[in-house]
Amino acid sequence: MHPVEVTQIAKSFGETRAVVDVSFNVRRGEIFGLLGPNGAGKTTAIRIMLNIFQPDRGEVSVLDGPMTEDKKDRIGYMPEERGLYQDIQLERCLLYLASLKGVPDQQAREKLSEYLARFNLAEHKGKKIKELSKGMQQKAQIINTLLHQPELVIIDEPFTALDPLNLELVKNVMEELRDQGVTIIMSTHQMQQVEELCDRILLINDGKNLLYGDLNEIRRRFSGHAVLIRTEDKLPELPGVKESESHNSNLKLTLMDNTSPQDVMKALAASGTNLEKFEVAVPTLNEIFIRVVEEGDAK
Amino acid sequence: MNRVWRVALYEYRRNVFKKSFLWTLLSIPLMVAFGVGSGFVLESLLDNDLPVGYIDQAGIFENAIPAPVSEREEPVEFIPFQSEEEALASLEAKEIQAYYNLPADYYETRTIEIVYSKKPAENANRQWWDFLQINLLSDQPPEIAYRTAAGTDVTVRSMDGKRSVADSGPLFGNLMPLFITMAFLALILMSSGYLMGAVAEEKENRTMEIVVTSVSPLQLIGGKLLGILAIGLTLLVTWTLIVILGVYAGRMMGIGWFQNLAMDWGVILATAAIAAPAYILVGALMIAIGTMVTTTQEGQSFSSIFVIFHMIPLYISFAFLNSPGSSLAVILSVMPFTSLMAVAMRNTFYSVPTWQVAVSVCVQTISALGAVWLASRAFRLGMLRYGQRLSWRGLFQTGQAGE
Repeated sequence: MHPVEVTQIAKSFGETRAVVDVSFNVRRGEIFGLLGPNGAGKTTAIRIMLNIFQPDRGEVSVLDGPMTEDKKDRIGYMPEERGLYQDIQLERCLLYLASLKGVPDQQAREKLSEYLARFNLAEHKGKKIKELSKGMQQKAQIINTLLHQPELVIIDEPFTALDPLNLELVKNVMEELRDQGVTIIMSTHQMQQVEELCDRILLINDGKNLLYGDLNEIRRRFSGHAVLIRTEDKLPELPGVKESESHNSNLKLTLMDNTSPQDVMKALAASGTNLEKFEVAVPTLNEIFIRVVEEGDAK
Repeated sequence: MNRVWRVALYEYRRNVFKKSFLWTLLSIPLMVAFGVGSGFVLESLLDNDLPVGYIDQAGIFENAIPAPVSEREEPVEFIPFQSEEEALASLEAKEIQAYYNLPADYYETRTIEIVYSKKPAENANRQWWDFLQINLLSDQPPEIAYRTAAGTDVTVRSMDGKRSVADSGPLFGNLMPLFITMAFLALILMSSGYLMGAVAEEKENRTMEIVVTSVSPLQLIGGKLLGILAIGLTLLVTWTLIVILGVYAGRMMGIGWFQNLAMDWGVILATAAIAAPAYILVGALMIAIGTMVTTTQEGQSFSSIFVIFHMIPLYISFAFLNSPGSSLAVILSVMPFTSLMAVAMRNTFYSVPTWQVAVSVCVQTISALGAVWLASRAFRLGMLRYGQRLSWRGLFQTGQAGE
């Protein structure tokens, strides 16, 4: 059984259908990307998983069964709409929230010291939350999500307001957690981070599954039967090439269905063209995202 | 430790260790002390114990009998002068505050002259007329003269004989239920204000979603209620201690007002029976408002409406205190919000029938249960609507978020 199993959930608010039909599984010890444009139904799906909302239809299994009160301590959640108590000190705020997760005081203090040091917040622990910068508050939120050492982490836009150094730090922490067997569901619009971190993804729009599965497999599926080349020579007439267009500093050759990249490479070699670069064109996740969402909207 | 207690402890510490709480704690005792103190100061400023002179040409004070003086006053000395020149010289020397000239034909004309540079004080004036009256009756037996001069104390008694109040004004014991009601009201409004603020703050700071994934909404609300209740009890205990100290000091100083502390415990019990559901009613409504508004500030403006509702009996007291058994008085005594104050005010001069208290307790309890239902619904619907106001209409519509 997977730590998270969501089967055909649906949820409406009055006339608005927030989630129509969403299903997915999240495997133990993976970083799973939950993607979708704004208003796609991601937050509602997460809230259903956490039992904040009851689904109108469908089933949810979290940590081997229905979501119950006692499982709350085993889950770390960083919501989209986030905040901490603005008028109290960072350390006090995080210790209080950890105590609500049932963490013994001494254990919470020890773990908090570790995290504060790692996230370079130790010297700010006596400051009120409102006195911290946005980036610092973001790191404090991440600490709050992880302080009770959860088995399942659900984290919405973890990289917001982080500079490149801190972004790298958060990515490292997430990778370490994954290596320790923690299951992570990450929702973000930063596709580059998804490509670097996630093993599998679910893309939803209008409350429905659009794309679901292994990230590499999805990218292969959308590779679009094209190659990218770079050469100083004049390009000869190539059989099986449908279209040629400039793509950054490269040329992108779109192939006919019966032509393979190997056929093109052979043809280029036979013509004596000096190649600086030759690679199968694989679209970025960002391109896949835009294409799938636009196609979905057109339908 | 149970999470409800953790939430309660957090709420308690967060509010009690603020400077503003100290002001809240001291506000009521300071207000009462200021009211009573300024009354005493004003009275003492109005009093003037300087002697008063008189020129007795009518022979009324040949064997002057001293006037009866109340325990609360210092006796003013009355100095006889043989001539107006002497009296005037004494007035100019500021040895006396005024002098009276009783002409020889006073018995026929009943005319007296008074000479002063500044109008004599109330105490001097009052004592002079008592002094004159008792000496006019000097041919009567002393007890009759004294009784006539001192007047009569009238006690107003309710028809059922349960309540009696001195005509000169209620004593401390009479007013105790009203004081308790005022303290309860202050407590209800202050602590429910804290409650509303605590809920609104979770929403304003966007901490609600984090907290409800750690504790259940019931634990969160229960913890907040307990925390606020503890704050309320802190206020109540402190105020009670200050009142006890004040009364003790007043008795030691011999202030007559504090001498009779007899209280009707039945009335106090009735007040508490109405106050308990009234507390839950306002508290639950404050939670509802806290989850419906977008900011703490917005919530506070709503909470001021409750203050006005509770004070309605005070504003229109003239309309029902003269006939405390009237329909208006009965309606105000059973209605939510107005009941506590109306019953307490009527109980000062009148014995509110038990059935009316019972109806009031029932109405308050039903209203409180309704408000708790409303609050839980508002909490479910409004807790995640950050930056959005939940309308009253939306509150009663079905198919809203979270259901």
